[in-house]
Amino acid sequence: MEPVIRLSNVSKRFGRVKALDDVSLNIQPGTVCAVLGSNGAGKSTTIRLLLGFESADKGDIEVLGLNPKTHALEIRSRVGYVSDSPPLYEWMTVDEIGWFAAGFYPTGYQAEYAKLTKRFDLYPSQKIKGLSKGTRAKVALSLAMAHRPQLLIMDEPTSGLDPLVRREFLESMIDVAAEGRSVLLSSHQVGEVERVADDVIVLMNGKVIAHERLEDLKQSVTEVVLTMPSLTAMPPKLPGEVLAHVPFGHEHVWLLRNLDGGALTDLCRSQELPPAIIRKPSLEDILLTLLRQNRNQLSAENGTTSLEQHDVSSLRP
Amino acid sequence: MICQIDTNNGIPIYEQICRQVKFAIANGSLLVGEHVPSVRDMATSAAVNVNTVARSYRDLQAQGVLVSIRGTGLAVAVDAPEKCRRERLEMVRERLQYILREAIQNGVTSDEIHSLVHTEWESLQREPPP
Repeated sequence: MEPVIRLSNVSKRFGRVKALDDVSLNIQPGTVCAVLGSNGAGKSTTIRLLLGFESADKGDIEVLGLNPKTHALEIRSRVGYVSDSPPLYEWMTVDEIGWFAAGFYPTGYQAEYAKLTKRFDLYPSQKIKGLSKGTRAKVALSLAMAHRPQLLIMDEPTSGLDPLVRREFLESMIDVAAEGRSVLLSSHQVGEVERVADDVIVLMNGKVIAHERLEDLKQSVTEVVLTMPSLTAMPPKLPGEVLAHVPFGHEHVWLLRNLDGGALTDLCRSQELPPAIIRKPSLEDILLTLLRQNRNQLSAENGTTSLEQHDVSSLRP
Repeated sequence: MICQIDTNNGIPIYEQICRQVKFAIANGSLLVGEHVPSVRDMATSAAVNVNTVARSYRDLQAQGVLVSIRGTGLAVAVDAPEKCRRERLEMVRERLQYILREAIQNGVTSDEIHSLVHTEWESLQREPPP
């Protein structure tokens, strides 16, 4: 099937800041895809490029087969978009803003909008100005979903909302995906992502550091705790790809990818160590480790360059 | 039937759904022939991905716990209650093993564990049923 979103070698700079650095992604239809990463990682920039609010310096973008540079309006009429602080006309009522937005979409919009606002317990005659943050978010979600978009894009939609509203947002996303439509969600609520996502993308400093099925990611990562006999004893090399290794005194904690459990048991036995404690980490643990590991790599790289510069300058007469 | 999903307990979500359906059958909250919620309803009420629920239902079908009734959905199989009661003990055993391993690794003695099980069991018996 054709991907709903395709980015190939996309880069975007804001002044001296590299917001996106050679990003390539494909998002398949009918999936809930979550974008994770710290603030400033490039999540919002990606979304703004998809909707044509910004244009890429380099690379190609396609949304539902359309180029946002040339077909931004058509894309915006076919996808639904909810941001974390949706701009709404304050002086309109819940009902009026639906009627107003209906003008931009094919017929049937207003009826569907009325259905959604009713489901979210919104009062049609209430002024937007007087609504709470949660209720405003529900209006924004109703507006974004009333044309039954093939793709729903959400940029931290539930930040600062109460658990009840967050649950309603989750249910809506599940409904959209259940009908074979797609959701692209950027969020800091890792627990929520863990519930609803099919795929996860982890961004850091404008680069994709992970993009895979959530299930595969969780399945392949294991936490191992080994107790060494003394503080100075060097821990053995473990059978798996080490994502992180943290010593706490003579206890050592690893996060490993593709651990060979049998080989680990043999290793402990042959080195006369107590059996290792093995745990399945949550998505949050995995995410934190990935971000830390990449940050360390990055600062190590920067460290060497600054050192080289230092060496060069010290050689100067 | 409503599933309570906890994303932090180390058990995969599809596995949690399977277990809760089996527990519900074992304790009689789901009866033979009764329908389980549709994939979509279960996904929405538990707030989890639709494909995850579909996978759990596929597993339960493959294990003969649920059977597909043409045109109406999935229902509890005739011999499911007995199967689930047998498995209930197995699932508790696995959890218990996990806890015991933790206790052993932390130097808790067998006597301490036994007395702990006894007092906890007694105090739970006194609790009013939910």
